[in-house]
Amino acid sequence: MKHILLLEDLAQIREWLRKIVLQVFPDAQIVEAARVADALARVTATKFDLALVDLGLPDGTGVDVVTKLRDVQAECQSVVVTIHDDDEHLFPALQAGAFGYILKEQPRELITEQLQRISQGEPPLSPSIARRVMSYFANKAKPRADATLPNVSLTERETEVLLRVAKGYTLPEIGVQLGLSRHTIADYVKQIYRKLNVSSRAEAALEAQRLGLFGR
Amino acid sequence: MLLPMLLPMLLFALPGALAPNAATAQEAARAAASAEAVRGEWLPMAGRSVDALQLIDSVLIAEGADDHFPEGVPQRRVSLPDDWSRSRPGWSGPVWYRAEFTLASAPPPVLLGVQLARACASLELQLNGQLLYQSGPMAEPYVLDCDRPRLLALPPAMLHAGTNRIDLRLAGPPREKLGSHQRAAALSALTIGPLDALQSRQHLQTLLQHTLPQALAASLLLTGGFMFVLGFLNRGESHLAYFGALSVAWALLDARLWIREWPLPHRASELLLLAPLPVAAWAAVQFLLRYSGWRHRAVDIALPAQTLLMLLSLLLVPMRHFHLLVLAWSMLLALEVVTAAAHYLRRQRRERSLSFWLMGGLLAVVAAAAVIELAAHFASVPALPAQLAQLALPLMLVLTGLRLVQQQGLARQEAEISRAQLEQRVREATAEIERNFRQLSELKVEQVTERERKRIAADLHDDLGAKLLTIVHTSENDRISTLAREALEEMRLSVRGLTGRAMRLGDAMGDWRAEVVSRLAQAGIETDWSAPEELPYTLSARAYVQTTRILREATSNIIKHSGASFCSIQCRVRDGDFRLIVHDNGEGITSEPDGRLDRGHGMATMKQRAKQLQGQCLIESGPGLGTVIRLTLPLERALETS
Repeated sequence: MKHILLLEDLAQIREWLRKIVLQVFPDAQIVEAARVADALARVTATKFDLALVDLGLPDGTGVDVVTKLRDVQAECQSVVVTIHDDDEHLFPALQAGAFGYILKEQPRELITEQLQRISQGEPPLSPSIARRVMSYFANKAKPRADATLPNVSLTERETEVLLRVAKGYTLPEIGVQLGLSRHTIADYVKQIYRKLNVSSRAEAALEAQRLGLFGR
Repeated sequence: MLLPMLLPMLLFALPGALAPNAATAQEAARAAASAEAVRGEWLPMAGRSVDALQLIDSVLIAEGADDHFPEGVPQRRVSLPDDWSRSRPGWSGPVWYRAEFTLASAPPPVLLGVQLARACASLELQLNGQLLYQSGPMAEPYVLDCDRPRLLALPPAMLHAGTNRIDLRLAGPPREKLGSHQRAAALSALTIGPLDALQSRQHLQTLLQHTLPQALAASLLLTGGFMFVLGFLNRGESHLAYFGALSVAWALLDARLWIREWPLPHRASELLLLAPLPVAAWAAVQFLLRYSGWRHRAVDIALPAQTLLMLLSLLLVPMRHFHLLVLAWSMLLALEVVTAAAHYLRRQRRERSLSFWLMGGLLAVVAAAAVIELAAHFASVPALPAQLAQLALPLMLVLTGLRLVQQQGLARQEAEISRAQLEQRVREATAEIERNFRQLSELKVEQVTERERKRIAADLHDDLGAKLLTIVHTSENDRISTLAREALEEMRLSVRGLTGRAMRLGDAMGDWRAEVVSRLAQAGIETDWSAPEELPYTLSARAYVQTTRILREATSNIIKHSGASFCSIQCRVRDGDFRLIVHDNGEGITSEPDGRLDRGHGMATMKQRAKQLQGQCLIESGPGLGTVIRLTLPLERALETS
């Protein structure tokens, strides 16, 4: 991990986060930003490996930065670090392409651990988020009036992984239980994140078509 | 009300029609008198049956204006019945008839009588030269008393042994000057016999010729009037009004049954008696057309015009052609009604309704009756068919009326039912609308509340939350940072509606496991977590938060103070309680000199939190023995969602 973007408007929290990041990635080069506009400017200038993005910012929402990163720097992993734990913040962020959702008030060692996991290629996924993702896809699976949406549904394995995460098992534990390597399990989790993203993009495209943005 | 009256009539009329020799006046009398009946001879006194009736159908006839049978003028013998329209066209009388009968002895052993089935129009009867009976004047206006059979007792004092004479004087308008052959002058055969025996014949004939037509006419008047009002009030049912008019007009055609003497000039009374005929035809045609759902403006105008025209023509025509004109008009009217009936039946047949057969049958009967009626204008028709034909028309009208009333009743009933259904639907729809409106209002309130809650939540998170968070992560003091974190959690519960949603116990344990296991693993402590699968319990949000804090505190203690290398955590549900046991293999906690186990490890806080949830938290520890924390929460309490 070399280049890391840290978007956080409160100076003290940013400092605290910076320390944690440096603890996990001692040789990282951290670019700090306090506003969405700053962050977007940095994204066009520098190539990042990791971005820690706060959501509630004075000049907008961090989701825009996550979207921009997904579009211009596909290799960069965006992780949302926020105080908001409700669906209205969680899903837009995940659907925009965030690869993790960390709550700020968690104990320091938990945040540290989650960042370490990321460095090892394991996207962080808490039980409560796993449960909400499961119900999101369960709703998707219901038959709908318009079948124009691509069928983005979870495979049996992905559902199995989510179910175990929801029960509080760590990814290595799940790997042992399913007789798979922890990397394979991590890939499943990444796949789940991607499917969230794909389904939201398909919905957006469909909505745009309905509004006549692309003509007919 | 009509039906009970009609039924016996039908029962009575049918056998009569089927067995021609059974009931009518003349035939019965003929049969009784038999072929050997000799003119003028009274057989009972010659040793025959006292009950035997003698039919006199051969009489002497003489013309003369005297008050007695003219003796000096030429006399002829004629046979009865004598219909003037055939035997003496254009003649209006008077004419004398003389019938003779012989008695073996006088006075006879039984009271004798003479019966006349029909005598039209003015009649005078003399027995042995003495006046016995008189009805109507011998000059215009004659009395209209044709349909009533007459029965007269022969006073024994006026009879004598040997030949007795009955002289009859008859006067009436000729058929040429009449609108109906029913009023033309005519005399039927005489029947002489014991009064008792004649009485039953008289009853039967009165019933057929007078009482039944009267009853039917009265019924028609009533039902017709009723239906006319019904149809008149309800414009959609105009056929009912026409049917009512038809019935009333037909009843009025029989006005002669009620009023015998018309103190009017002949033409005036004839016009009055005939006036209902074109009206009846008008109403019949309109009824049939409207009933089949067809109406035309031209017909609406033509029919009343025709009625006026007919009456006008009858007013102007010379009296000697009166009958001919009436006949012509009758044919035309009949033709119109037949056309309308055909039109009606064709419509009905297309609809294949039950009405087709019912009305078709009724119309067939009416047609047959009309044919007999018309035939009577040209030829002598036997009395029984003629009488039945006269009865059939009003009877069919009454039946049709009943059928119409039944249909009307059914339609009303249906309308009532569909109205009730409609009302029900309207009520349901109204209730549905009200319910929807209420739901919408509630939804609106909910939406507004939700939006407001989110706004407040966002504000609190962004402002107060950020500050608390800063304290959590920047304070050097553990106690203060813990307090700030708890304050943050409290704030979150508040903005979610105090306590938020209830949480499934399984989900809560998932959260706890993830946190505890990863924290302990982070600290290099081996962990054994055991918990049952799928528990059908829920925890209130507050219970979840408090338990999370207790567990978090316990985990922190193990990581920071115990020096343990292994920790086992057991979750159980037993006796309605949730039990959590955290057991480490660390150094344990040394009791303080004052006997308390606390060493700034937040044990007191843990116990206090458990107490708040109506549970308890026991901590067992000793130097070198590790620490066991037993948390017990009553799930009944924890189940409460608020």
